[in-house]
Amino acid sequence: MPRPERKLISLTIDGREVQAVEGTMLVDAARAADVEIPYFCYEPKLGAPVGACRMCLVEIEGIPKLQTSCSTPVRDGMVVNTTVERVKEAQNSIVEFLLVNHPLDCPVCDKGGECPLQDITFGWGKGRTRVIEPKRHFVKPLALSPLIAIDRERCILCYRCVRFSQEIAEDWQLIFTERGAHTFVGTHDGHPYVAPFSGNIIELCPVGALTSRPYRFRARPWDVEGSGGVCTLCPSQCNVEFTVRDDKVTRVLARENPGVDDGWLCDKGRFAYQAIHVDERITTPLVRGADGELRPAGWDEALEAAGALAEHRGRAAALIGGQASNEEAFLLARLLREGLGSGDIDSRLGAAGELDLNLMRALAAPALQASVSDLEFAHIVLVLGTEPIDDSPILDLRIRKGVRRNGVKLAIASARPSALDHNAKLAIRFAPGGEAEFLESLEWALGTPGSGETHELAALLRDGGEEVVILWGESLSAPARATLLRIADRLGLAERQGAGLLEVPLGTNARGIREAGALPGAGPGYGEASPGRSAAQIAAAAAAGEIGALHLFQIDPLRELPDRDGWERALAGAKLVVAHAATLTDGLARHADVIFPAESGAEKDGTVVHPDGRLQRLRSAIRRPGEVRAGWQVLADLAKRVGLDTGVLTAGMAFRQLIAAVPFYEGLTLEAIGGRGLRWPETEAAAAMPAPGPLAAAAGASATPAASGPRAEANGHLLAGTYRSIWAASEVEISPALRFAVAEQVVELSPQDADRLGIEDGAAVRVAQNGTRLRGRAAIRSGVPAGTAFLAAGIAEESANALTEPLVEVSKL
Amino acid sequence: MPYDPGKDVIEVVRHPPRSAAASTYRIFGETLRGMKTTLARVVEGPLTIQYPEEKTPVYPRFRGRHKLHRFETGDPDNPGLEKCVGCSLCAAACPADCIRVVAAENTPEHRVSAGERYAAVYEINLSRCIFCGYCEVACPFDAITMGHDYEMSDYTRSDLIFTKEMLLAEPLERTPLRAAGE
Repeated sequence: MPRPERKLISLTIDGREVQAVEGTMLVDAARAADVEIPYFCYEPKLGAPVGACRMCLVEIEGIPKLQTSCSTPVRDGMVVNTTVERVKEAQNSIVEFLLVNHPLDCPVCDKGGECPLQDITFGWGKGRTRVIEPKRHFVKPLALSPLIAIDRERCILCYRCVRFSQEIAEDWQLIFTERGAHTFVGTHDGHPYVAPFSGNIIELCPVGALTSRPYRFRARPWDVEGSGGVCTLCPSQCNVEFTVRDDKVTRVLARENPGVDDGWLCDKGRFAYQAIHVDERITTPLVRGADGELRPAGWDEALEAAGALAEHRGRAAALIGGQASNEEAFLLARLLREGLGSGDIDSRLGAAGELDLNLMRALAAPALQASVSDLEFAHIVLVLGTEPIDDSPILDLRIRKGVRRNGVKLAIASARPSALDHNAKLAIRFAPGGEAEFLESLEWALGTPGSGETHELAALLRDGGEEVVILWGESLSAPARATLLRIADRLGLAERQGAGLLEVPLGTNARGIREAGALPGAGPGYGEASPGRSAAQIAAAAAAGEIGALHLFQIDPLRELPDRDGWERALAGAKLVVAHAATLTDGLARHADVIFPAESGAEKDGTVVHPDGRLQRLRSAIRRPGEVRAGWQVLADLAKRVGLDTGVLTAGMAFRQLIAAVPFYEGLTLEAIGGRGLRWPETEAAAAMPAPGPLAAAAGASATPAASGPRAEANGHLLAGTYRSIWAASEVEISPALRFAVAEQVVELSPQDADRLGIEDGAAVRVAQNGTRLRGRAAIRSGVPAGTAFLAAGIAEESANALTEPLVEVSKL
Repeated sequence: MPYDPGKDVIEVVRHPPRSAAASTYRIFGETLRGMKTTLARVVEGPLTIQYPEEKTPVYPRFRGRHKLHRFETGDPDNPGLEKCVGCSLCAAACPADCIRVVAAENTPEHRVSAGERYAAVYEINLSRCIFCGYCEVACPFDAITMGHDYEMSDYTRSDLIFTKEMLLAEPLERTPLRAAGE
């Protein structure tokens, strides 16, 4: 989809000649020319203007009546007056009308001090009212959802929240009910407005009608300071602003960056900040005593105990979780390779096999990288093997926007039905684990005529348009990735502007951690390194006693990685388990010998890399609580204990070492990254990316168990796929406001299977396999293909991480 | 060779020689003129106030230590709701930044103020306060007023941070109020 062309025209506003881009709304053109027109309902992010509030009336010469400037596009030669008596009178009257029913409870209203209605009344209102009649009354405050309080008396009916629900999130839950002065916002039957993006309406509301319940009465705008940062809870890495009061994060707001988040936030990013300041947080180092109990300890004692890593030189291994910064990943890799003489380090979550460095380099090639805004303007977007709403929620909104506004043709190919299916031209289901098989048939279909949905997709990709963006999930197996590369090659995505691949990793900073060299057999910048074991091999080796020490950086393998039993044996088998963690998850509580308190995303100082290659800065918004120390500092101190002087004394030194080590980051500085980030594939240094060698032949394509495995109907068992819900995070579990959302085991079944097994929607079910039993709740989704079931992974209890085989038996409990 | 100052010599001009009478007047006359003022005041009697036994009465609009108010019920066992709703406007108006308000929500079981919110923490750091009275002007509920008490010295700085309970308590009337026409 070609991006809109910018053609300049000129018009006159208040007697001044003004240049504006054709098609912009008058209110925007005026603002660019330093003429302020007040408005409530206009919000360009919400799509087409509605002109509901009438606050932005202006006089346009040649039109007898006043016009709403938010819904009038500029035209060449237009003459606009915003300060004539007619307009002033209209503005006065509108403010007076709005205040007929708006209660004057500003002292108790949470919006007070940052309220557009206050500002506009002060700036454009008359200052007095003639209305003496009683105001409209509603019961207040009410809970619109566990996160949002609604005060219907304050609502000025601007439609922003309703438009968000209907046109942006497309959850169609919020509507206006009743008519006239009795109109109010709500859901059609009064159910709570629970949706992954519901929190955005708080920020959109121009009055105090929709307010945040966790932030309720916490602070006034003059009591707080804003601190820009990046949300580290998922790979979307939305830019946020932390509202800080008394050294505590009290609220998270969106910090609009069109290249990353478009100004929206999901509810996890908006409300899980509460996990920073809860009692569950580890704030002192913990060391396991002789009696087997974890006890708080001083830093010296903990570093001394962790220094025993030196005794396992050559037999140590490390895992690193997605929330680590680039610097931490780089230092951990140095600690392991240089300090402990071992290459056994892995950062890939999910069932990643042995690392194919050439494949990884080829997929990360700068020419092949699509950016987030490419999703919005592409001709075709193919979502492959990932569910954006769970894996990278903000991309879900971006894709919806592209489809709705720019006519992007969306295709989905995944095992699990996607929330985007309704927006897609084409939704193809393959069996869980069958993505390699599917991609091979797609590759074949690209070259051979035929019919069927795979051929339809092939035709769409081939002939649908120039710009094709393929959004693929990290859980794709190695053979599938190789096929994906061949398809990209065949479509010529690398040569086309605005086309390419965009990976949705499983960990927040997965891309940055990889580029920092925390991979088995790959050093910083995808360079060559001494061979090492992958995560699964580390588990096997540790269980067999070949690995003495395990270093877990912000990861609990029992929680994050598949094969729970294998990791249970591995953690039990390792002599020393050193962990960095912010909360004491189950696996660490039972197995870790030393736990260093880890920083939260609001405390870290460092950089992360967005999946599209954008380096972004994390800056400390608050002081670290308790005795928490910076991650880079702990790693540098620990390296010293095992006899490696990293030469890192500040966070900046760690960053400079990283820049020096990664060839394609050359010339980057923290200033250049700044508050908006910088995409390295667009820099000149990107040419230094090592070229991939020849790829291994696609021999293992049929080795995926599901592809050649038994079909489900054979013995009534179901083919199991896993998914990780947006709410499956330890931060969500300990945030008091998000207790209602904590992910549980929800087994998604097809209507046919549910019928056959006699399971009703919401019924308790048991999932069994090889003696492993999980309890869960059934959810019947019509999109699930018969013969498959999808289980939640990454949750605290009854997690699908315990499963090892593709087939499960589901029964009613 | 002796130094020849040449043209650099500066003549110092001195006063003309004084007479005895002029000198005597200069010594006693001026002193007596000053004493006239002093002796005239002696007739009026002493003005010294024996503080702290005696205190200067203050004017009604004197801006002394702050007070927080409750709605009056007239029943000492059942004090009224607090007028303060914890809106923080006083903190916003304060030029010395000495007021700290942390608000919380009223519940039916625990109702503190008349509105939806109340001040869970209300502190004034009187060692920083400049007694300008802006807080009183900013308050939309007349919940805070400046009292007449100016006797606030204490032994530690932290004792000068007045909490909500201290500000709500009925103050000791230590300072006489100036009567009308006084």
